[in-house]
Amino acid sequence: MSSRRSRSRQSGGGSSTISDDQIADLVSKLQQLIPELHSRRSDKVSASKVLQETCNYIRNLHREVDDLSDRLSELLASTDANSAQAAIIRSLLM
Amino acid sequence: MCNPSGNQLDNVSRRNSARMLKQEFLKKWIMGLQICSASKKEMSILERKKAIKLSADLAMASTKNGTTNWSLALISNASKENDNKTLVDQMLGNHHSEKISTKRPSIVSIFRNKRVATCRGKKILKKRGGIRRAKKMASSATSIAKRLVKKRTQVLKRLVPGGEYMDELNLMEETLDYILSLRAQVDVMRHFANATPKFES
Repeated sequence: MSSRRSRSRQSGGGSSTISDDQIADLVSKLQQLIPELHSRRSDKVSASKVLQETCNYIRNLHREVDDLSDRLSELLASTDANSAQAAIIRSLLM
Repeated sequence: MCNPSGNQLDNVSRRNSARMLKQEFLKKWIMGLQICSASKKEMSILERKKAIKLSADLAMASTKNGTTNWSLALISNASKENDNKTLVDQMLGNHHSEKISTKRPSIVSIFRNKRVATCRGKKILKKRGGIRRAKKMASSATSIAKRLVKKRTQVLKRLVPGGEYMDELNLMEETLDYILSLRAQVDVMRHFANATPKFES
């Protein structure tokens, strides 16, 4: 990321130029978010690695949502969902 | 980055905003679930699962109040299917279409007219033959790295709702926000799943 070329890489239709610094900043923020990369904490993680782990992480989160929806659909099989929800809201928001 | 108290404040505010996000999500999700169960008393497990997932996704998107592209894309995608329309309208209120029209008009008009495919990628390939070949000769290591980043960026674009229409910078910003929202969604759903006792019908 040593080149100071701030020309926009995409044909973004007249949008503001994107600098390498801005992207590098966002990449490092992403690095801090992703548990896989969080422990390393060095600047040496490459952008492509961060992107790869980001994609894996998002895929995992999608899968979790799907699995949890499965679990919940079985758990909430009764029509008496309202009282359960009320109890849970109370316990979660306490 | 070498100011410890600054970091601590960051962490506290991050945790607070995460908590508020979860509470916001939970409220809207519960509302969505109630709308679903009110409209259809008898649901198969699969229908229930879809309702739970859809309410969760819409709840997550609606906490953004139209301030991000991914949430607009998610809502737009959902409303394109007839089965979902009533839930979308009831969860988000009829004013959600107003919100869409005020944000980033160029992207928004795409959402209005096309089905934004998040899983199927429509790759837009830019061919700049001559220049590319010359650069390849010059520094193959950097160009391999660049190609890898490009490839991974394409994958990311398909994972983030509306990603295909974002430029690189926007995509990164949206990804950060999307991940935070997904995490909140998963945390709340997990707590809910762990807390709900099993009901025998």
